[in-house]
Amino acid sequence: MSVGRFVPYVLKQVTRHRGRSALTVAGVAIAMFLFTAVQAMNRGVTVATQERAGETTLVVYRADRYCPATSELPQDYQSRIERIEGVVSAIPVKVVVSNCRTSLDVVTFRGVPKEAFLAERGGAMELVAGSAEDWKRRTDAALVGETLATRRGLRPGMTFDAAGITAYVAGVIRSDNPQDQNVAYTALEFVQLAGRDRLGIVTQFNVTVEDPSMLESVAAEIDGTFKTAQEPTATFTEKSFIGRIADDIIELVGFARWLGIGCLAAVLALVANAIVLSVQSRIGEHAVLQTLGYSSRLVALLIVGEGLVLSLAGGVLGALAAYVVARLGSFALAVEGVSIPIEASLGVIATGLVVCGTIGVLGGLVPAWQASRREIAACFRAA
Amino acid sequence: MALIECRGLTREYKKGDNIIRPLDGLDLDVERGEFVALMGPSGSGKTTLLNLVAGIDSPTRGELTVDGVALGSLSRNKLAAWRAQHVGYVFQLYNLVPVLTAYENVELPLLLHALSRRERHGRVMTALQRVGIADRHDHYPRQLSGGQEQRVAIARAVVTDPTILVGDEPTGDLDASAAEAVMALLGELHDDLGKTIIMVTHDPKTAACAERTLHLEKGRLVREAGAMEGAAV
Repeated sequence: MSVGRFVPYVLKQVTRHRGRSALTVAGVAIAMFLFTAVQAMNRGVTVATQERAGETTLVVYRADRYCPATSELPQDYQSRIERIEGVVSAIPVKVVVSNCRTSLDVVTFRGVPKEAFLAERGGAMELVAGSAEDWKRRTDAALVGETLATRRGLRPGMTFDAAGITAYVAGVIRSDNPQDQNVAYTALEFVQLAGRDRLGIVTQFNVTVEDPSMLESVAAEIDGTFKTAQEPTATFTEKSFIGRIADDIIELVGFARWLGIGCLAAVLALVANAIVLSVQSRIGEHAVLQTLGYSSRLVALLIVGEGLVLSLAGGVLGALAAYVVARLGSFALAVEGVSIPIEASLGVIATGLVVCGTIGVLGGLVPAWQASRREIAACFRAA
Repeated sequence: MALIECRGLTREYKKGDNIIRPLDGLDLDVERGEFVALMGPSGSGKTTLLNLVAGIDSPTRGELTVDGVALGSLSRNKLAAWRAQHVGYVFQLYNLVPVLTAYENVELPLLLHALSRRERHGRVMTALQRVGIADRHDHYPRQLSGGQEQRVAIARAVVTDPTILVGDEPTGDLDASAAEAVMALLGELHDDLGKTIIMVTHDPKTAACAERTLHLEKGRLVREAGAMEGAAV
């Protein structure tokens, strides 16, 4: 006997008890929206901070400084860094942010030497709109990361103001690196001079080494080189640099995980409560099914099925709502020029739905077991 | 050999420190194709006997054999499968599933059988036509009168062509004319299809439709009468 033929019965039980089902689904959807949002932040932290095999980028920052406004290094460190064995290139970067505090809408300008930047990083980026030639030609031109462009509604040909800088959008870029997705790359001199007159001063150097195994030794060599200089350096792998700068955000997101777990507990309680109430109000109906020849196991399965359908319906709604909001909003938690994207990927949604389905089954198990163990004749007396 | 054989059939319940015995060593034979009415005061064991025969309750002692199957020896799951095959149950309060239409209610027991959707449709419509309510197949129970609901319940009980049809006061909640119509329908099922019917009733007029009336008191069979005799009680 195929269980599939009972699916319409389960669906009718859910859809024809509209009020009860709508309230349960709405509750599950809200909890799953929150859970998916928290998962999306967690995912963003992982993407932004987890080291991946094969990475060869170091960030050289001013020692004992934690924000771009105070990290000032002489640009001429570049040639000395490039002379260190194992270094492929060192790109000076001047970072200017519109807001030093943690925010969902920070505009980060990164001034870079255009030719060197394109030669080093161009291959890792995709120009999805606009023209690279335009960017090279115009002094005030910016290549804007896709997340920032979506959030601010920026398109090639537009100009925008942030942090006292007026820039022209030459193109929109897409990259696997979340830091690229949420910044505007401009000419180094343009950012250095834009109202600040800091020519020759940069925030950091992005250093590429020959081999991942050389990251530690090169970092030590760089910091050793400038140990006694007026502006000593602190060198990190790119991911650990992000982890260091954004540790407040990472801690908050870590705490938010508990909220996510709380959401799951709420879903479990909600579904279980809905099923318990439903089973209690339908004791007679389940006894009738058993009188007709439905086994206690099948009745239990039908009850669990209802929990599963309610839970999945709410889960799909909540997770999709979170996905749409995160996608349309293109949010990224940013601090001190470092971005933690809120990544509502399909994987996050799939995880949410699997969790929701499991909770739906768990929520229905106890009431289903109780209903299936009742004596039929006793149910009729009680109903 | 009788279709239903009860030997020393006893059912006991424990209620606190007391043991309640609604059936106490009952012996009874019901032949295939018989129409039997069970009468007696409240608590005499009528419904308990009906539930035992229908396989929704189990005897504490004694033997109960239906069509050669000793029901007491069947596991919970096997008993459910047996019910699906052999029993049609008509309740006093109809007990239709409120969120399902008349058609879907009648289809419910057929979902347990290896039938295609088309076969199920054919059987459901035949059953609904037999009880004269095919034109209301898409109505929900709340949209039907008591008599119509009971017709749907009877269609649900007979749609699997069960060996026995049991009714627990099937006219108990109906007005006189609806009760008469339902009894006429049960009579037709008995006469035309040769169904074995066992029915609990408090109403002598309803009992008169049966071929044999059994009177129970304190869990024992105290009197047995033919149709006319039963009606006169």
